[in-house]
Amino acid sequence: MRPAPAQAPHPGQGFRPQQQHPGQQQQQYPSRPGTPGQQGGPPGGVPPMGYRPPANGGHPGQNFVPRPGMNGPGPRPPHPQDPNHPMNQQQIRRPSAGGASLPPSPSIQRPPMPMGGQMQNGSPLQRPPPLGGVQRAPSPMMRPAMVQPGSPGMPRPFQSPQIQARPPPQQFMGQGQNTAPGSPAMNPMGYNAGGPPPIGSMGHPGQNQSQPPTPKMPFQQQQQHPSQPPLQHQQQQQQQQPLQSQDPGVPALGQPTPVGGGSHKPKRMYPTAQSDSFQEAAAPAYDNGLNGGFQPAPVSGVPAAQGFGGNQMPPGGQQGSQFFVPGEKPGPTFGQSVPAYQQGLQPLAGQPLQPNVNQLTNQMGGMNVGSGYGFNNAQGGASLSTVALMGVAPKILDLEAPPPTINLPANSSITQSPHANCDPSYKRSTLNAIPNDSNLLKKSRLPFGLVITPYRSVKEGDEPVPVVTDAIIARCRRCRTYINPFVKFVEGGQRWKFPSSFDYDSQTQQPVDRWQRKELNHAVVEYIAPTEYMVRPPQPLVYLFVIDVSYPAIQCGMVATAATTILESLDRIPNDEGRTKIGIITVDSSIHFYNLNNESGEPKMLVVSDLEDPFLPQPEDLLCNLSECRPTLEALLNRMNEMFKDTQNVGNALGPALQSAYKLVSPIGGKILCLQASLPNLEAGALKMREDPKLLGTSKESTLLQSSNSFYKTLAIDCSKSQVCVDMFLFGSQYSDVATLSCLPRFTGGNTFFYPAFTAAKSEDALKFAHELAEFVSQRIALEAVMRVRASKGLRMSAFYGNFFVRSTDLLSLPNVPRDQSYSIEVSYEDNIHIPIVCFQTALLHTSSSGERRIRVLTLAIPVTTSLSDVYLSADQVAIATLLANKAVERGMNSKLDDARDALTNKCVDILGVYKTHMTASSSGATPNLQICDNLKLLPLLTLGMLKHVALRGGSQIPSDLRSYAMHLFSTLPSQCLIPYIHPKFYSLHNMPENCGTIGQNGIEMPMAMNLSSERLERGGLFLLEDSQNIFLWIGRDAVPQLCLDLFGVPNYESIRGGKTTLPSLETDFNQRVNLIVAKTREMRRSSYYPQLYVIKEDGDPALRLWFLSHLIEDRAEPVMSYHQYLGHLKDKVNSGSF
Amino acid sequence: MSAEAMVFLFGVIIGAALLFVKVFFVILISDLEVDYINPIELCNKLNQFVLPEMFVHAFLSFVFLISGQWIATAWNLPLVAYNANKVMNGKHMFDATEIFRTLGQHKKECFIKLGFYLLSFFYYLYRMILALVNDS
Repeated sequence: MRPAPAQAPHPGQGFRPQQQHPGQQQQQYPSRPGTPGQQGGPPGGVPPMGYRPPANGGHPGQNFVPRPGMNGPGPRPPHPQDPNHPMNQQQIRRPSAGGASLPPSPSIQRPPMPMGGQMQNGSPLQRPPPLGGVQRAPSPMMRPAMVQPGSPGMPRPFQSPQIQARPPPQQFMGQGQNTAPGSPAMNPMGYNAGGPPPIGSMGHPGQNQSQPPTPKMPFQQQQQHPSQPPLQHQQQQQQQQPLQSQDPGVPALGQPTPVGGGSHKPKRMYPTAQSDSFQEAAAPAYDNGLNGGFQPAPVSGVPAAQGFGGNQMPPGGQQGSQFFVPGEKPGPTFGQSVPAYQQGLQPLAGQPLQPNVNQLTNQMGGMNVGSGYGFNNAQGGASLSTVALMGVAPKILDLEAPPPTINLPANSSITQSPHANCDPSYKRSTLNAIPNDSNLLKKSRLPFGLVITPYRSVKEGDEPVPVVTDAIIARCRRCRTYINPFVKFVEGGQRWKFPSSFDYDSQTQQPVDRWQRKELNHAVVEYIAPTEYMVRPPQPLVYLFVIDVSYPAIQCGMVATAATTILESLDRIPNDEGRTKIGIITVDSSIHFYNLNNESGEPKMLVVSDLEDPFLPQPEDLLCNLSECRPTLEALLNRMNEMFKDTQNVGNALGPALQSAYKLVSPIGGKILCLQASLPNLEAGALKMREDPKLLGTSKESTLLQSSNSFYKTLAIDCSKSQVCVDMFLFGSQYSDVATLSCLPRFTGGNTFFYPAFTAAKSEDALKFAHELAEFVSQRIALEAVMRVRASKGLRMSAFYGNFFVRSTDLLSLPNVPRDQSYSIEVSYEDNIHIPIVCFQTALLHTSSSGERRIRVLTLAIPVTTSLSDVYLSADQVAIATLLANKAVERGMNSKLDDARDALTNKCVDILGVYKTHMTASSSGATPNLQICDNLKLLPLLTLGMLKHVALRGGSQIPSDLRSYAMHLFSTLPSQCLIPYIHPKFYSLHNMPENCGTIGQNGIEMPMAMNLSSERLERGGLFLLEDSQNIFLWIGRDAVPQLCLDLFGVPNYESIRGGKTTLPSLETDFNQRVNLIVAKTREMRRSSYYPQLYVIKEDGDPALRLWFLSHLIEDRAEPVMSYHQYLGHLKDKVNSGSF
Repeated sequence: MSAEAMVFLFGVIIGAALLFVKVFFVILISDLEVDYINPIELCNKLNQFVLPEMFVHAFLSFVFLISGQWIATAWNLPLVAYNANKVMNGKHMFDATEIFRTLGQHKKECFIKLGFYLLSFFYYLYRMILALVNDS
């Protein structure tokens, strides 16, 4: 079992002994280039060439943290060496109390109360009081530098002036730190202490640097580096960060003396000062470090002494607010600084949300709404962004909006790279600020989980995933996380050390700058895995087609289409190294194998009709090398349809065929593509037609959605064990039992495609299938993969949704990872979180289609918060909807669809209720309207969309096949496709602006999406609706002949044919624009699905019309209410419930 | 040795065996939780024992029934019914694909059954001794 990762931890192999030399160890101290004293170079510079590994640090093994011997995302090894190794004892100075449980992520290595963080954060709160603002001369600029969390990717959109009201209560600490360091010129800490976070806003580095942060700082800085160019300055700040964060962790214990101590000495000059402040102000400092940097909770606004516990609504709320008031006025400098900040940032900000403001406002609002300060709802509509839901059309354009920004504390990433945090298309969290304990999460009732699309395709214009080619894999020795931009160099940098070879590129024989390394600058990286991560050489790609050639399959033209498509895609099948293998099995009532490696160039058919114990007719040549057997294969595919065209055989022995296919492929592992047009009806795996219209719409319906035959599940488990993935292409003119057959893909990481009522005679059907099959086989997939998500201590992955097999508590096994498949993972708490940021790291150990063993690592860092309003304001409705959809599908399959629907609505009610009770003025009693924060305002609409979706809609009209397939899509589509699938896009074409459908700056211009309501339909109009699987062109009955002529080339409305169509390509401008829009719709998302185009006439086929209208989810459609009714329903429940 | 004593002696032996089986279940399930075993192996191992265990238990209840031990029969009957229900719904086997989702449930059930068998065991022992004492 457990094939992919090398299991055995080789404890300490190769690195342990070396670490016993303290001297060497000290070199491991993150001797960052440019640290004064370590090298004579320019103080702040990061000369790429200038830095060389320390003299005796040149042995690659010596400083090696990463244990190559450890497994990949494989099962967590025991850490035998940790506890008793002398080194380790010294290093792991803070063995987390509950360390036995879940290994922490890198962020845990930050001391719980990062002093360094506090100082670096440059929280406004830590700055000298406004009174002293006189000295802080250029404050307008300084402000951006300080507040800005550092990555332009996550700017704060706008900040209302009220925020400046934050009093600077922690100033004493800040000052203390400033003075403590003693010789400021020498002290990197002091340098940073009151200063701005090194990052500043990436957009304006020059500004940041030229604008000294605190009165003293600029002076020191200038003294020290009078001629320093801005960039260097910035770099230096960065470099010092690890050192800083290291200090607080060991304030009293003293710390190992690093070599080259020029820069380090000063730190030891003030451990007392530090430890004092550390001890005194542990909690508040923590809060500051966190909140000051990114979201000033009231906590940070109030001196720690006040014990303003950071909890959302402390009893002293009123006082708290009063406290704020004076703070609002004092510093004109403050006031001025903000606009500059805003201006600087606004262009970057894509988000209407302002956590800073919002939090404050909400805190205030929660405490004393209506007190008249600028914080509360009444006034701060925009900034607070609470919106009323009822009575207004949902603002659906916001579905496209990026998720709420992740406001990490400044300096949390060591390199300040804009790519340091994970792109939402790879991984997004439902909450972009994480509650610090489970009670707060429970209180919020928001679902907490991750939506991961680790192997999403890289389209044109996307940045490719950077690959670390030198096989140096640095991992935390304790928690096995991979090095990432959020590691902290604590405790003398001993926990995370750089391999000395980090600084040297063995391929080009050039020294490299470790701070430029990809793994420290990118949240998504791929490593080339060394042999320790393999249990066998990387497997070649194997495609085995199992094609149904029974009468129905021939009849509908599936075999002919498939053969042609495969033939045409042979060139597109990834075959980089010429290792790709291919094989074909056809099946009716017997199994036909083909010897493709024939000298004559003629395929030889071998028929096995023993279905009870299917065997392989010959040991080899049934799977052949694609390049070698090409002529034979082409001959076979060319002839395939001919061979069976007169068949009358209606038997389909899929089960035995799959067993043989499994036997054939399992020694290597690979992909079995099943193309089935009839229900398997022979021997093992035979299925019955079990669709029973009487069951539809009843509580028994879910039995139809469950697998009816354990054969497929058992086979799926075997396949998963042998790294075999099964994909299903199902073509049903009748019942195809998608529910049972999709079991195989579900547990083997495959994909299901379903073509109801397929006939190749319809060119649209054939085109769709051919396109999808061709795309699918030419995808560059990942093979023999395992995936594990690690989180910082205190969090645990508790439930997994998607197509894979869960091989141990947190290890997902994926024989294949298709492109653009999404996985949802629910996260639960094991413990409270005591660190300011939490990291989620997904590691996908896989073999790429080019035959390289690789590890793709995705790191997502999210701040921790103590306030409920932060949690709400950072919630990502798209991710929430994705997670809820997955949960609902699971629920619908395993218990009842009713339960699933109720669970969705109840979740919505909970969220609205909690928001109402805790975040708005009307904490109790009935309210006339529903309110929710701006970033969640579309959640009720999305919920309603799910309730009305084929996957979950009630009623007895939906065949179980369609429902199963929709459920499959729910659990595999990435958010980008799932959201339109739930909430389709609706455009009006007849009156679209001139530029729509033409090629503009951003490719083809699309019209503005409209609300999904039939109010929008006009009798003479032309509308397009697409849900990422289908495209509908709705044409009103009063459509003017000119429109018909321009678009369809027919004289009038009556001559338009409804149903599946291909738009003609005409010379008219309108036709070309619509064609472009359709084309764009088909390719604008990352998926291999090819949406089919239907023309719906207003008075055409009623079934089609109803199908189209069922997508207009804001309308009433029995048995589900309209959007406004639904809101009313939610409101009643919210008003009657208690939260 | 009276018939009653014989029956309860049989009960003690079977009870002990069932107890062992359940302990084995519990151990394996905990192993799964800490990753010492993978779900496929676990299910293969456990599924071998599921039906025999149910069968043996049902047989024991049957022996009690025909020997007229009403209390013992009544004590065992609910479990027999529960098992039968599970088998009829086809939910008695451990499913490797669902195991992590249902682990808590399985664990709870195992512990409850363990307790049940333990109590049964002592009850049978007590009745056996009682019967032997009465004999002599």
